[in-house]
Amino acid sequence: MSAAATTQPAERRLSLLVTVLAFALPVIFVLVPLAIFLVYSFFSVDQGTIVFAPTLGNYARFFTDPIFLPVFWNTIVLCVSVAVICILLAYPAAYFLTTLKGRWRYALLMLLLVPLLMSYVIKIYAIRSILGLNGFLNKALVAIGILHEPSTLFVFNMNAILLTLSLLLIPFAILPIFLSLERIPQTLLRASDDLGASGLQTFLRITLPLSLPGVASAASFVFVLAIGDFLTPQMVGGISGFTFGRILYSQFGTAYNWPFGAALSVALAIIVICAILIGERFGRNRGTSI
Amino acid sequence: MNALPRPSTIFLAAITTLVAVLLYSPLFVPIVSSFFTVSHGNVDWSSPTLSTYVALAENHDILAALRTTLIVGVCTVVLSVVSGTLLALYYHGRRSGRSILQFIIFLPFLMPPIISGLALLIFFREIHLERSLLTVVIGHTVFVLAIVYRTVLMRLQSMSRTLVEASYDLGATGWQTFWRIILPNLSSAMVGGTILAFALSFDETMITILVTGTQSTLPVRLWAMMRLGFSPDINALVALILMFTVLLCVLAARFLIPRQMATERT
Repeated sequence: MSAAATTQPAERRLSLLVTVLAFALPVIFVLVPLAIFLVYSFFSVDQGTIVFAPTLGNYARFFTDPIFLPVFWNTIVLCVSVAVICILLAYPAAYFLTTLKGRWRYALLMLLLVPLLMSYVIKIYAIRSILGLNGFLNKALVAIGILHEPSTLFVFNMNAILLTLSLLLIPFAILPIFLSLERIPQTLLRASDDLGASGLQTFLRITLPLSLPGVASAASFVFVLAIGDFLTPQMVGGISGFTFGRILYSQFGTAYNWPFGAALSVALAIIVICAILIGERFGRNRGTSI
Repeated sequence: MNALPRPSTIFLAAITTLVAVLLYSPLFVPIVSSFFTVSHGNVDWSSPTLSTYVALAENHDILAALRTTLIVGVCTVVLSVVSGTLLALYYHGRRSGRSILQFIIFLPFLMPPIISGLALLIFFREIHLERSLLTVVIGHTVFVLAIVYRTVLMRLQSMSRTLVEASYDLGATGWQTFWRIILPNLSSAMVGGTILAFALSFDETMITILVTGTQSTLPVRLWAMMRLGFSPDINALVALILMFTVLLCVLAARFLIPRQMATERT
């Protein structure tokens, strides 16, 4: 189009308009809000009004106050655990999919991805009713005889958050692992077989190493989604399941300390960026990264 | 794979089944509950009923929220598909400045929604834009733009350059080439982007909670109701939404997957 664009004035005007739009849209609605947000983290609050004078007080408070760092650390550990659980479940499933032929492979993949499009809030609610004291899980465990009475082990605490997040995020782990497994050339597997390797040897020496980029992408996806989630901890965490996202949100609600909340968001953003970069670095494998 | 089911295959199949059960259990529970009465986790199997669906039709709060969600969804789809396609056309084949602006487009999608939402909340306050459906639509558009952009860009990149060159060789103007060659080739990607954008907008909760005014979308409404526990008619709504979702998935697959598989083979 560019060749023709220089010849006709109408098209040149259009091209200029498109250029302006192309730059304005992302800059105005993405970059500017994020920049303002970042600037806010250097302000402070005095008796309910925001003081627009630069200070590092919010960051100092984050590092010195005994409340925030432990919650921050616990949340990171929680989200790493979620990523590990998701991968342990998703890897065998993704591997199984790649052993299927043709149509079945994609039909089953679709089947495992459809729950992604289902309302998040409703899923959380349903999982809560499954995990609850009178929920299906407790009922089932009592019925089988594993428990004598309903357990409070997964009711409104960190375990509940861990289980719920894992359940919600498994599909995000399946897709990148499936894609990386699918891209392993069949000839390599046949060559390994021809050279006398057993199925296990082929898996450990060929398939597993070649699929690790997909695992890295999956881990980074799940971690980022888990640590950014606020709805799940709020809904199934109860009082004891306190995560960083909830502290952050409370700064905008009850505490009304937007600048401090912004500073906490910066900390969250830094962790997310690190996770994405690590995922990119180790997940460099065509089609598995966003 | 081997024809005989070896222990490892059985093990893998078992784990896959477990994963499928885990993924579908939170969908299964509300659907079963929509046809049977459930009290304290006990399902009364004896009397299937449609009463929850009748109750749903009379729940004006939920219906209003559903309408708001649809309005927001349609506006978001139009804005994001038009701007996403324009951006993809603009950045396609351009080297300078593309990666940095592309990164900016992806930021709201990569960042946790709570950060995007809070940034927009403060931004709207700074520019004195009252929180309303307009701010919700802007928030959703910013959020889903990356997906539409990426879908269209991938299609553009897999499109053969020779088609455009042939069109110019045959004397077509830039506009003619655009309408007759480029746009028809992009249409399936745009339809796929539309479906994905709508699905994402339909489910977006976090940004909406932060930037909405008095009107709330369905997920926000449900979120607010959940503190008290849902009334049974919500289960009927869930069942209906699930059917709708499956339909969307089939449509999305129809428009997106065959193309991608075809491009993978070449």
